[in-house]
Amino acid sequence: MSGLKERLERLRQTARAAEASREAEAQAERDGDSGAAVAGTQPGEDRLHPGFRRLGVTEETNEAGSFLLRRIVYPLPYKHGRCGLEELFGVAPLLHPVACRQNGIRRGSRRVPADPGETPVPQAAGLLFLDTETTGLGVGAGNVPFMIGIGRYTDRAFVVEQTLIRHPGEERAMLTWLLTRFQGVTHLVTYNGRSFDWPVLANRFILNGWRRSGPEPGHLDFLHPARALWKNTLPTCRLGTVEEERLGIVRGEDVPGSLAPELYMRFLSDGNAEHLSGVYVHNEKDVLTLAALAVHFGHLLAGRLGDAVPVPDDAEERFRTGAWLEQHGRSEDAMRMYDLLAAEPEPAEDGSEIGWRLALAARYKRLGNLESALALWQQAAAFAESSRLPRIEAHLELAMYYEHKTKDYGLALRYANTALELTVRRLSAFRASSAAQEEKARLVRRIDRLKRKLDRRPVVPDTAGSEVEAIWGWRQNG
Amino acid sequence: MNRLTGKTESMEEWISELRARPEIMENVTFWHTQPAKPPRTVPMPGEIHPKLAGALAAKGIRELYTHQAAAFRGTAAGRNVVTVTPTASGKTLCYNLPVLQAILSDDSARALYLFPTKALAQDQVAELQEMANLMDVDIKTHTYDGDTPPTVRQVIRNAGHIVVTNPDMLHSAILPHHTKWVKLFENVKYIVIDELHAYRGVFGSHVANVIRRLKRICRFYGSNPQFLCASATIRNPKEHAERLIGEPTLLNDDNGAPAGEKHLVFYNPPVVNKQLGIRRSSVLESQRLAGLLLKDGIQTIVFARSRVRVEILLTYLQELVKRELGPKSIRGYRGGYLPKLRREIERGLRSGEIRGVVSTNALELGIDIGQLQACVLNGYPGSIASTWQQSGRAGRRHGSSITFLVASSNPLDQYLIQNPDYFLGRPPEEARIHPDNLLILLDHVKCAAYELPFEEGDAFGEEKLSDLLEFLAEEKVLHRVGSRWYWMEQGFPAHNISLRSAAQENFVIIDMTEGHRVLGEVDRFSAPTLIHEEAIYLHEGVQYQVEKLDYPEKKAYVREVNVDYFTDANLATELKVLHVDQERESGPLLRQYGEVMVTAKPTIFKKIRLRTHENIGSGPIHLPEEELHTSGYWFSFSEEETAKRSANDMQMALLGLANVLVHLAPLHLMCDPLDIRVVPQVKDVHNKRPTIYFYDRYPGGIGLSRRLYDLHDDILREAGHLIRGCGCQSGCPACVGPIEEVGLLGKDLALSLLESAGAPA
Repeated sequence: MSGLKERLERLRQTARAAEASREAEAQAERDGDSGAAVAGTQPGEDRLHPGFRRLGVTEETNEAGSFLLRRIVYPLPYKHGRCGLEELFGVAPLLHPVACRQNGIRRGSRRVPADPGETPVPQAAGLLFLDTETTGLGVGAGNVPFMIGIGRYTDRAFVVEQTLIRHPGEERAMLTWLLTRFQGVTHLVTYNGRSFDWPVLANRFILNGWRRSGPEPGHLDFLHPARALWKNTLPTCRLGTVEEERLGIVRGEDVPGSLAPELYMRFLSDGNAEHLSGVYVHNEKDVLTLAALAVHFGHLLAGRLGDAVPVPDDAEERFRTGAWLEQHGRSEDAMRMYDLLAAEPEPAEDGSEIGWRLALAARYKRLGNLESALALWQQAAAFAESSRLPRIEAHLELAMYYEHKTKDYGLALRYANTALELTVRRLSAFRASSAAQEEKARLVRRIDRLKRKLDRRPVVPDTAGSEVEAIWGWRQNG
Repeated sequence: MNRLTGKTESMEEWISELRARPEIMENVTFWHTQPAKPPRTVPMPGEIHPKLAGALAAKGIRELYTHQAAAFRGTAAGRNVVTVTPTASGKTLCYNLPVLQAILSDDSARALYLFPTKALAQDQVAELQEMANLMDVDIKTHTYDGDTPPTVRQVIRNAGHIVVTNPDMLHSAILPHHTKWVKLFENVKYIVIDELHAYRGVFGSHVANVIRRLKRICRFYGSNPQFLCASATIRNPKEHAERLIGEPTLLNDDNGAPAGEKHLVFYNPPVVNKQLGIRRSSVLESQRLAGLLLKDGIQTIVFARSRVRVEILLTYLQELVKRELGPKSIRGYRGGYLPKLRREIERGLRSGEIRGVVSTNALELGIDIGQLQACVLNGYPGSIASTWQQSGRAGRRHGSSITFLVASSNPLDQYLIQNPDYFLGRPPEEARIHPDNLLILLDHVKCAAYELPFEEGDAFGEEKLSDLLEFLAEEKVLHRVGSRWYWMEQGFPAHNISLRSAAQENFVIIDMTEGHRVLGEVDRFSAPTLIHEEAIYLHEGVQYQVEKLDYPEKKAYVREVNVDYFTDANLATELKVLHVDQERESGPLLRQYGEVMVTAKPTIFKKIRLRTHENIGSGPIHLPEEELHTSGYWFSFSEEETAKRSANDMQMALLGLANVLVHLAPLHLMCDPLDIRVVPQVKDVHNKRPTIYFYDRYPGGIGLSRRLYDLHDDILREAGHLIRGCGCQSGCPACVGPIEEVGLLGKDLALSLLESAGAPA
């Protein structure tokens, strides 16, 4: 048997041959970017690459080893986009309902909000703003956060600190340092940190021999409120989109976060700190934006809509803002939004006009205000009937309403029949999913049932034989 | 006979009636009867926890079979144990007993169960939950697989006492996320691996590496679990277990379970054309025998070698007994049926509602379908172990059962049916794995590095680890810092590595007859020959024609049809030698072993009429070529030997010999016949001589060709026996091949070539 090395070499050659073209392309790209790559700093060497010095990075050493640290102080007041970061001192406690909602316990697939009495009230000084840059995707054991950006409020400043490990061997030192920064922290403020940044960090602690003792940190994960407010009105809920569209922040040139792993790999292979300068800036800005978001949501919950925070232009967003405020105990502010919606002029006919009406109607229905719900359903139904890809929820609600509440089976049947027509129209545009087929079958059953109910009613004999006339006949006489 | 129903009342009666039927018995070449066996038991060991003993008593178990007690003692002594006993011998108690005992005495103890399939895992959880209920103890047992809802997963990770999963899930979901499983890995006392024999070949080689990774993670969390394994009968259970888990293991094979009388009947379909050596189709004969059984109300399982055969037999049988039994009482079962349908069929078999089932070896594994009364094997299943395993599906602890082995006309079947001693006198085959196949090993070194960094001095497999790590570092997959290697790539390696090469990338079959409905799936290797365009794809006995095969998207669109033929595709292969690792010259033969590159391309398909099996047309297949870099073994004949024959004679001789070898090789390797290929070349491009090639049908090879290089003499000797022993005049499908293929002198040519090759007589 040939030696292992020899076999590995042959393996490489076959793999190479197959990938030759792709490899060549990638190589060309790499050469173009870093043709003048110098032999990099050896790991563990004291001397810092000049690129690091330019970025203001210093080496930090503790009992577990060393790593790199960059520290930027933003004296307050400091304006980031529309928000003054110093405003958080006043509004942080108002984020308490968000904290309660996010830190409840899981019951099956639902999260039950935490008891407000047992959840600490957020204070600016107790918040740790956190954003990590990692070598890969997902929360597996092999995904390494090579840069961790944290932000904290002191009395007079907002301080951003960014760690960097020059190689994975520095991780333990970096984590040891990070633990000191967790002291006095009540909440981690992140964007998707509850399901990404924090689990990834928790992995690293476990892998380096720490075991969790005591409770999980509290989370203020702003991805969730951002989705609640802007899911349907912004093209994406990525932090970059949100800050630009809703916080008035203009980043200018920015290295997208998705490139960070590749840039770090380049740094690993040649030790050139310049590869990372864009990543540093990107991460720093992300941390700042987290603080700005905290201010924004704080203002919303302080009832300063229309004052510190502009009223949304879009009806959908108005409804979503109202619903979010209501969820977080701001019913009066929510009512203001709903009233604004009621005063909404007849809008253009596109599908988006239906969604909020249905949702708001559902809310009225829940509260027993069927009258308001009815009006919204009727509007939504009218929109649906003129849409090319109609939704039938409004018709179903109306059919149910007339069947069960007013026992007006004729009208119920009319809405059910229209719903069936709309379903057929919708199905003809799509490949029928089994769910859609099922829905159609349910509708047919409903129609049958309504017809039976109608037949049982004493119908005043009518010379006109057609079903619709008979129904209307009953309606007039009954 | 019951006068009212016209059905036999007992198996014994049915068997004695069968023995009186000359039209059947004249085709029976051999009748083997295994006498009934009484149970051997020992009293329940005193140290068994009272609650556990109580629960067992509630189930009617007051004593243990000898093998159950031995497993319990061995485990208590801290040994790894592998239990090898036949189907339905109470094997699960061999591992459930120690596991439950451990959890009862220490609530923090954990166990991890591995089953090769999801279905087996679900059966197991039901059984364990029943025990927990009987004991009135809160022992949490959960399956953790692709079907587990995300919301439940967290609970299982933190609080599950027994986690039941499969190697694939362990590989791609649990190990890479081990930090979420701290509780399990810190406290795992036992790792249970059932159906150990299923982990052989490529799949087994992968699983051995997954276990290496598992042990590495356990060490990291400070646990050192014992392995409790169970296997169907194979020749080398102890060796196999030890290779798979990498540790010394105690063999426990003293089966104390009772068994009813078992009959094994070898049945050779009658010759219909003596000159051409053509026998009646084994499919038709299997159908006949199964029909006799089913009509008499005997619950029967029929095993067929291929998915197509399953469907054909199913169609025939449903037709045959549709008046006696409804069509729903005879079902098919094979890979490619969706899980829900499979569960339904399993339930129906247990309840007795389904009277007959036609299956591929998918039902060979320990899926709980109860014990049936009769079994018909359509063709030799390929190995002695599989034959026993499949026939074990019929047979209860009391009462008789019968298995028919219906020989097909291929040489291996004919050899066995005429040499029953070979079958009965031989221990079942070995299960072989090759965990250090370079590609497989590298894949798992990557996964392992993702899970935990490697350190100098670490070991992983038999190859020199530091060379592998260096290689991966050069490939920029790992990053070396001092004496450690860290994963440093953006990807998630386990996602791109499938443990089951065959199941790697499945083609989805979409029925467009009415709307769009997913009908089933086909693995990538089978796709070019099974679902090429115009192929007839059979599913649950219904014919579908493939209208479009979207190769890049891995989708086949089919529509229901009703035609009187099925399709069969041809595959053209080309072979190139890349490197010779070893060679030996003996007499006129040059034997070599090394690396080869194989390219395969489906060429045409034939339409074959149902029932008569005549060829009624053909068409081309347009699909891309597939490349395979693997290991191969080949032997070439010297120029003098070549010069003695005309090129045509040489061609026929090689072809005839290859036809025999292709059947004998898997027999000696205990591999699936599909795992190894044989290709004769009259003028080989590599050394310009007549050559016969064998190659492993898996990238990088899995050690099969390597083994053949050593087994060369045995196999050539066996080939000589087979050809000489065949009753035909000048070649038949049962030896060198039909005369249309190898010519009138095919048999003699092959024999003389074999003798000149120095094959010992």
